[in-house]
Amino acid sequence: MGEFLHIDALGPTGPYRSRNRRPLTSLSGAPIGEISQVPSLYVRRTVAAMRAAPVVPGAQRLDALDRAAELFATASLGGLGWDEYTELVSTASGVPNAVVRQSADWIADVLRSQRHTVELAMPRGAVGDWRDARTRDGSAVWTRRGEVFAVHAAGNTPAVHGLWPEALALGYKVLVRPSAREPYTAFRLVEALRQAGFPPATLTLLPTDHDVADVIIAEADYTIVYGGQDVVDKYGAIPTVLTQGPGRSKILVTADVDWREKIDIIVDSISHLGGTACTCASAVLVEGDPEPLARALAERLGRIPSLPADHPDAILTVAPTASVVEVDQYLHKVAGDARPLLGGDTIVDELPSGGAVLRPAVHLVDSSRAPQLGVELPFPCVWVGPWQPADGIAPLRDSLVLTAMTIRAELIDALLDEPSITNLYLGDNPTTWLRPGIPHDGYLGEVLMRTKGMIRTAAGSSAA
Amino acid sequence: MSSPVLDLPRVGDPAVDPDEYVAALIHWHFTASTGSPFWLRRARSLDFDPIADVRTFADLRLFPNVVDEFRDVPVEDLIPRGLAGEDRVIAGVYESGGTTGAPKRFVMFDRWMEFALGWDEIHYADLGPANVLAVAPSGPHMFGEFAARRARRHDGVRFTVDLDPRWIRRLIERDGPGAADLYAEHIIDQAAHILATQAVGILITTPPLLERMARRDDLVELIRKNVRFICWSGAHMDADSREIFQAEVFPGIPLKGLYGSTTILGMSRERAQEADSGLAVFDPPSPYIAFRVVDPTTGDDVAFGDRGQVVMNHLTKYALIPNNLERDHALAVEPPPGWFGCSVADVGPVATFDDHAVIEGVY
Repeated sequence: MGEFLHIDALGPTGPYRSRNRRPLTSLSGAPIGEISQVPSLYVRRTVAAMRAAPVVPGAQRLDALDRAAELFATASLGGLGWDEYTELVSTASGVPNAVVRQSADWIADVLRSQRHTVELAMPRGAVGDWRDARTRDGSAVWTRRGEVFAVHAAGNTPAVHGLWPEALALGYKVLVRPSAREPYTAFRLVEALRQAGFPPATLTLLPTDHDVADVIIAEADYTIVYGGQDVVDKYGAIPTVLTQGPGRSKILVTADVDWREKIDIIVDSISHLGGTACTCASAVLVEGDPEPLARALAERLGRIPSLPADHPDAILTVAPTASVVEVDQYLHKVAGDARPLLGGDTIVDELPSGGAVLRPAVHLVDSSRAPQLGVELPFPCVWVGPWQPADGIAPLRDSLVLTAMTIRAELIDALLDEPSITNLYLGDNPTTWLRPGIPHDGYLGEVLMRTKGMIRTAAGSSAA
Repeated sequence: MSSPVLDLPRVGDPAVDPDEYVAALIHWHFTASTGSPFWLRRARSLDFDPIADVRTFADLRLFPNVVDEFRDVPVEDLIPRGLAGEDRVIAGVYESGGTTGAPKRFVMFDRWMEFALGWDEIHYADLGPANVLAVAPSGPHMFGEFAARRARRHDGVRFTVDLDPRWIRRLIERDGPGAADLYAEHIIDQAAHILATQAVGILITTPPLLERMARRDDLVELIRKNVRFICWSGAHMDADSREIFQAEVFPGIPLKGLYGSTTILGMSRERAQEADSGLAVFDPPSPYIAFRVVDPTTGDDVAFGDRGQVVMNHLTKYALIPNNLERDHALAVEPPPGWFGCSVADVGPVATFDDHAVIEGVY
């Protein structure tokens, strides 16, 4: 990382370096580069240019996405090869190198699978192109509700960039506002997609400050925004904003299942991707005494070594020491009367190489209604508590993913009917299970697309 | 009696001696026969003797910032008793924005207003006759009256639209940043109609409204075709936006800013020559208006080239408004030789970043 990095805007007519820039820093706080901060005027002009640009035809989009997958995973982009890119992300943002690689591989998989995903998301009564022969007898055509889709990305893991390529596949023009902490993945992905065939005016990268970020929301037709509860509170009521807030993913183990056989899956759900994903379990509810399971989790999670983020075996996230201390203080505050079994003294483990590891934490709560069960923190931090059938599904609400280790069909029916549980996994599947084509928080197409009825006579129309 | 050194300058007048000016100014405002009721009353609660202790521009720092008191004081009390005849003609009473609490009121005298308006006359010298479109607040704000007078100087008329910035702020407070959109677009619609049907040579507006005009291709076209001068004021224009306006949106049309405030009853003008960094530099009409840029924690002046918070002073026989700490931050720039304080560049609000400590959640 010898060279001074410049993350500039990738605008509709080319790269743009603004005068207003903020520093990019490594975990130790050392400056390693600068990121442009474009003004609102630039945002508005960019969105106008994007609206004016022709839509890339469907087949070309899917071919370009395939090519982009290869470029993203193999090419030198912005002067960085794959290894240099993953190393930069882990040393600059503290995400373990293995997590970066896994997440970035996931992005390539997502790009490759769009052909399939779009088919899966489309209503069965619809065709993707009006030229399809089925419109001659009358059918639905799947059409876009808007033109420009914006992304306010986060920097906790490159995997956040696994959702928006679906919008590109659907024919939206996409504007990405990268994370200021980790803009490298967004930059690489936009570069790859452009080299693969998306014209600059159909896909842009606009780093901005906080105020200008709101202008993006106002100008775009739809925006997906990653953030904490504050972001959900701020934007949740705006119909054109899709918030990706705390996942509060959970695991339920009922008495008909022996948790001892599932401990690997539970540990994996908590620590996968260093606990940085919204699909990572932050609460485990157990029918019966939760303490033995909590102790087993503490023992297993406590064994994970503290390593620099660029170490090949690193699992845990590294962050600037001051911010880890802040997280630790917050953990103490919210833990309240919960019994700490791991990490109760401190989760801060300073590294000689700079920054500190966020060590895992396991706490035991005494009720399925304990408020701590809803606290999600950006590292392997789990709250374990008791559950009984009389508690019902209320303690399981508001979960991005719920893994239910149970064979009770009635309970499964009730969980599937609960609107605030987004994904429901059963049995031996960790909350972090993901596969291209399976919705993460619904398909984007559910929001971005609609059906229109169409009937046509054949005369003069092109062949299907 | 007024010392001649306090009279507004005529073309060809030699520069005033700074210390002589300050001494005459303080004598005027703190002498019972010439000072305003406000300052004569306020002098009793000062812990220094203005006439004895304030002899230089630096000494003016002894004064407290009194602008908050202008929220309640009857405007008659702000009129210096020594003003008479042409000097005593009032152009209007204008209010500061009222973003933080109740607005403050200031008396604008006609002679001073003509002088303040003429401060950036150099930019308009070759423009000839022109109509003015002011898409800017009128009402209690001085902005609208300046536009009207600008039109008169060009033998033209002023077209205008109604704009109430306080109402926009209320909407934003209540419903978030998107709430002002409808109102702002309504303003632009009205401006568009004027631009489409009337001969507008000078466009006066605020940067946010200019930005909204720039979004509409038809308006950009009309402005490029007809408008020969764009004047902005009332808000900030960052260096990046200025460059985009000049290079891409309105190439070839002079785009000049005025940076000021109702609290100093005037503005600083954009220097003809940019700083080496390409930033626009703003020169106030010293000694009548003078800026300082201070370290917000210590209150000390920052060195030229450093950033700090802007302090404005209005120092005329028409009003004394010293040490008004603005919310804006700016670079301190070396002023022309012999001027009070400093000039400023890269004026803007304090930057906000989204790296505040939000801990819950993974993002």
